[in-house]
Amino acid sequence: MERDNSMSKVTTRSLKAEQVIDRMGQKLNRQMAGSLLACVHCGMCTESCHYVLANPGDPTYAPAYKGDQIRKLFKRHYDWTGRVFPKWVKADTVWSDEELEELKDTVFGKCTNCRRCTLNCPMGVDLATFNRMARGLLVSVGIMPEGVAVVSKDQWEIGNQMGVLKEDYLDTLEWMEEELQDELDDPDVAIPIDQTDCDVVYSINPREVKYDPRSIADAAKIFHVAGEKWTMASEGWDMTNFGLFSGDDALGGSVAQRLYEKVVELRGKELVISECGHGFRSTRCEGPNWAKYDVPFVMESSVFTMLRYIKEGRIKVDKSKNSTPVTYHDSCNMARSCGLYEEPRELLELVCSDFREMYPNRTENYCCTGGGGAMSMSEYTPRRLKSGIIKANQLKETGAEIVVTSCHNCVDGLTDVIRHYELGMEVTQLVNLVANALVIEPKVAIPVEEEVVEVLALAGRTLLVADDEPDQVEFLATVFEDNGARVLRASNADEALELARVEKPDLLTLDLAMPGRDVGEVYEILREDPDLEGLKICVITGRPELRKLIYDRHVRRPEGYLDKPVTEDSLVLAVRRILEVAHEEAAAPSDA
Amino acid sequence: MSEFLHFSEHTLQEVALGFMGLVYTTRIVWFLRRFKAGSERQAATGPASTTPKKGILYSWANVAMPWAMESTRRQYLIYTQFVVFHLGVTAAIVLSFIIPYGPSLLESQTFVLIFQIIIGAAFLVGVIRIIRRVSNPYMRAISSPDDYFSLVLLTTWFFFALLAVPNQTSGGEWHLLTYFILTAFFLVYVPFSKISHYLYYPFTRYYLGKTWGHRGVYPAQRAS
Repeated sequence: MERDNSMSKVTTRSLKAEQVIDRMGQKLNRQMAGSLLACVHCGMCTESCHYVLANPGDPTYAPAYKGDQIRKLFKRHYDWTGRVFPKWVKADTVWSDEELEELKDTVFGKCTNCRRCTLNCPMGVDLATFNRMARGLLVSVGIMPEGVAVVSKDQWEIGNQMGVLKEDYLDTLEWMEEELQDELDDPDVAIPIDQTDCDVVYSINPREVKYDPRSIADAAKIFHVAGEKWTMASEGWDMTNFGLFSGDDALGGSVAQRLYEKVVELRGKELVISECGHGFRSTRCEGPNWAKYDVPFVMESSVFTMLRYIKEGRIKVDKSKNSTPVTYHDSCNMARSCGLYEEPRELLELVCSDFREMYPNRTENYCCTGGGGAMSMSEYTPRRLKSGIIKANQLKETGAEIVVTSCHNCVDGLTDVIRHYELGMEVTQLVNLVANALVIEPKVAIPVEEEVVEVLALAGRTLLVADDEPDQVEFLATVFEDNGARVLRASNADEALELARVEKPDLLTLDLAMPGRDVGEVYEILREDPDLEGLKICVITGRPELRKLIYDRHVRRPEGYLDKPVTEDSLVLAVRRILEVAHEEAAAPSDA
Repeated sequence: MSEFLHFSEHTLQEVALGFMGLVYTTRIVWFLRRFKAGSERQAATGPASTTPKKGILYSWANVAMPWAMESTRRQYLIYTQFVVFHLGVTAAIVLSFIIPYGPSLLESQTFVLIFQIIIGAAFLVGVIRIIRRVSNPYMRAISSPDDYFSLVLLTTWFFFALLAVPNQTSGGEWHLLTYFILTAFFLVYVPFSKISHYLYYPFTRYYLGKTWGHRGVYPAQRAS
């Protein structure tokens, strides 16, 4: 097809543009077409969007404007009014890959698919649904933010969206099981794996394995105290689904089906989904539609499970153990797409003594800014943080010290907002509060007087922190020093190499985006240096797309990987885990 | 009454109405046959009291519940304008049937006054809406020529409807002629413009209500 404007340089449509237009026809269903036809440009949705509120005067963030970038294609190619009188109804087409890149910027970078505008549209136009469709169309021709490509690839190839390897997953479960046995002083506490005929199969977010293993231990503690017959799966355990964010229904269906089939294989009676907004929506609501699979078992959020245990008297809780003022942030996917908003509050009232409501709340709550996969799109981080002012003000007004949410994306999004706007709040999940409030009957023990010596988690270790941001270096170093480590600091790759060779630290935390020498090159040198064979490396980066700098090299992969922002707990846990696994590996031959 | 006015009130309207009905039928058939409705396999979520049926009814009634949405709660003046504007449209349409088929109704001064108040208020709202669409950068950014044209034309139509309400020809027929010609033009133009949004409203609201009723979002819980 040729462009009718002879003055333009582009005379033929690019292959990708052609495919996007063709595939749109296949993706459109009646709900989407209705939404594309019904908008009257009344502007009532404008102020419902946190991007608009944070960017006054910039109409390109207005939901109706963003919707028009997709609507114009629909009108030009699928609605006959737009075919006959395109300019009259603002119908338009795309010709080049550059125009598709502009569309990418809108559908990925200016909308988190939070659906707040849908709720506020008098016509019932579901912008988030056709925005997701547009994302899917772009992804199908390879146009997407780098982070989306990386995460989607991991979920297709490795089976989970954070690329957690099976051995790392199982190691973490084993580690958490040991921690729990120590904590409860009970060697019988277990995190069962691949047990058949259980009442509950527990699925989690890979983020819990990488950054927040404590939440796995907390859930296990609750299941143990409740006397639940439960298990986790060795594979097909990831209940998150990047297909929801990328708009890729094939990925969405494949991931969901993998999970469903594992539960069927284990003959589980119920699938319990840990606290994750998009994971819950994808697995519980959208997955059966994407996979065209009639799920033969019950699925519920762990929020319901915990509440049920309390109501049935299977666990006892003492709310005075959580006395710090808390507020609750409703995840968009939980509240606005799945109607899950009362149960978390009911649970909070049972396990916390000072719960304060946030306004607006429930289905009207504002996005945490990390929804729609925004946390994986580092190119839009400044935009995301700027829009976070709305959330920051909402949080501040509660007067709470802890914000509770039932979503891992929200944990990261809120943590970022809290740090950026210096709110000094902590983010946690219901599972952590319930576990903390548990009343566990003490075992009868004969008291033995012994001197208690506090051993710091990283005592005796030397850690090298390499990062070009002074604030980040200071944060990491302070956390490590507080935990007893000796810390060395480097602000570029060369300095890190030099210090590693001279000081031979136990572990190096490596930022991937530093000025000067290529970090990938230095990484390879470090890995190939026989004197540094024992050096463990943990990548800490805010730009996941730079992973290819090291992963494309034919050397050993890093022992750990953390996305910025990192919290103190996740940092210490990750570093401890790397060093403890290393210690066990070193000890293994002599034990054998 | 001149022959031309009689033609404008009767034949012209009937032909235009028939044309609109034909185009609307074609559009509905196209919409229903071209686009298949997505199916829902998931088990219900949310409060047990919410169902697809309740969701659909709530969704359809949403337009009459300004308290149900934050947008209409906060922008209550715009919502009021919406109500007045659409009452004006209804009154002006009804008028196009009353004049040719029940002119005796307009012998009541009270009746005339009520219609003039409604249509006059709608005309004022039309002017306010034109100013808002032109002066507000957000509205400008999303407006198409059709948006401006439809609004200006409707406001003009309100003006002539206001003059036509008494159904008096003693000062000439031009105002009645203009009103009926504009009405006929609307009947032909509307199916191709955004004014036909009411055709899709039942569908978009039906599907949104069905899904959100099934998923426990509708009827919406207000922020307490």
